[in-house]
Amino acid sequence: MEPILIIFWVVVGGLLASLGAHLLPVGGAPAAMGTATGIATGTVQIMLGAAMTGLFTAASAATFTDSLLLVALSGAIGATVMICVVMLMANILYTFGCGIVPVSGRVDVDPLTKEPQAPYKTPQTDGHGVPNVVFVSGMLGGFVGGFGGALMYFALLNYADFTAGTAAIGSLSIFVPNAIIAAYNIRGTIEGFHDPKFKRLPFAMVTSLVVSLLCGIMVVIASYLTVGGTM
Amino acid sequence: MTVTPAVVEEEPTKKGLSFKLPLDETEMGLVAGIVAAIVVVFTGLPAVIKGIALILAFLWGMDSVRKTSKYGLGTGVPSIGVLATGFGVVGALVGLALAKYGSIEGVAPAVLVGVILMGVIGLVSGILSNNEKVIAMKIPKLERAMMELGMAGTLIILLECSIVTGSLNFNAVVNQVMSTGLIAFMFIFTCFGLLHPYNACLGPDENRERTRMVAVEIAGLICAFLGFAMIILSSFSWELGSIVSVTISSPWKLWNGVSLLIFGVAVWAYFFRMFIKACMDEAYETVGTGMIKTIE
Repeated sequence: MEPILIIFWVVVGGLLASLGAHLLPVGGAPAAMGTATGIATGTVQIMLGAAMTGLFTAASAATFTDSLLLVALSGAIGATVMICVVMLMANILYTFGCGIVPVSGRVDVDPLTKEPQAPYKTPQTDGHGVPNVVFVSGMLGGFVGGFGGALMYFALLNYADFTAGTAAIGSLSIFVPNAIIAAYNIRGTIEGFHDPKFKRLPFAMVTSLVVSLLCGIMVVIASYLTVGGTM
Repeated sequence: MTVTPAVVEEEPTKKGLSFKLPLDETEMGLVAGIVAAIVVVFTGLPAVIKGIALILAFLWGMDSVRKTSKYGLGTGVPSIGVLATGFGVVGALVGLALAKYGSIEGVAPAVLVGVILMGVIGLVSGILSNNEKVIAMKIPKLERAMMELGMAGTLIILLECSIVTGSLNFNAVVNQVMSTGLIAFMFIFTCFGLLHPYNACLGPDENRERTRMVAVEIAGLICAFLGFAMIILSSFSWELGSIVSVTISSPWKLWNGVSLLIFGVAVWAYFFRMFIKACMDEAYETVGTGMIKTIE
């Protein structure tokens, strides 16, 4: 076991989890009524779903390879696919079920495609569905979050020498507080990197750094006492 | 000149509140913490006694979730329950790793170091979340609540591992809880035990007694589930996930599992009935609407 590597990758994974939570289109309760942009649930549920899917793909890849990059990338792909399917289904439901167009509520012109947003927005609402810029941001969020979760899984599996089940639940347990602290930082809803709330990112990063550093030290203690080895 | 009759205020009937643990939030935390800590140290106790400590620990965690979520977290009640469980699993890993130090036959006091370390991490994250210069959530006493949640979560996960394996040996827990996938159920069930009572009961007329009934009810369901898991685990000899033999490998565990299953079902049935009765009594009126009419 290698304590420095464990702490380093756990901290990197925690920071990426926090960044990923800021990039996701979280709509919360208003989105469930179609009056806000994003997926109609909280950050925790979206991030937990993405991280779990990422861990499944990462764990499958970890059974036949020792490459850190390959395991982390497969985790990232799993989480991205899950988030993309959820965003696509949300758009299908909003457009064909409710009859509203996906439109951003925070910007007047889409920063990527330069499409006008303001004329299509229903007055008194905060946008609808998942428009282009939000979709791209969500994809990036899923990729970054899944990459972080899979990095933690790899560190716990190979550097801390835990079994696959222990490593999976351990990395999920460190991932979750980081994502939730990011959720407290964005106060519930966010659209993505173009949202004004995204500027609050450094505060969540500081908290995430401290919490994942302490959790990494806990993992090193557990690994040292059970598996043994040279510090 | 007509005199309008004074409005006769009807006294609300409080017949349903028969569940009165005469403890406020601080006392509840102390009692639950001490009882759960003592029970978790003595690993050889029968599963039913561990189940009672588990119920107390859930009541403690539920109180902490309730007093934090009352002020509005902005992300919904579930987030804080999941946070507590996440902290709990990390703390339980350290506690289990430490358990072999200074333990005499069936007594493992070093486990509590994991609980204390997790309390420190909870306190640090609470201070950072509430600090004006960092996340600035501005929730009164969030630091204390996060510390309590870390400790309660760790105690709950340790008690559940202790119930299923009958010991706090790290390898036994890895073989019987982690590698069989039982930990995934434990994770989700513990999340729901902590977050569901307040999440389901919140609203203008929420009161602590009724919310606690839901907490005890869910803890009873978890006891029944753990008892069932013990029965399954006692009839097979598990070797990293593959069934080696189909014999009753441990009669002690079988009878503990059966007693815990009966205890859990009894607690669930009693408190579920009490909760429904309390809701009926405290509501202004309960009327049936019948089936939904279809338009022809």
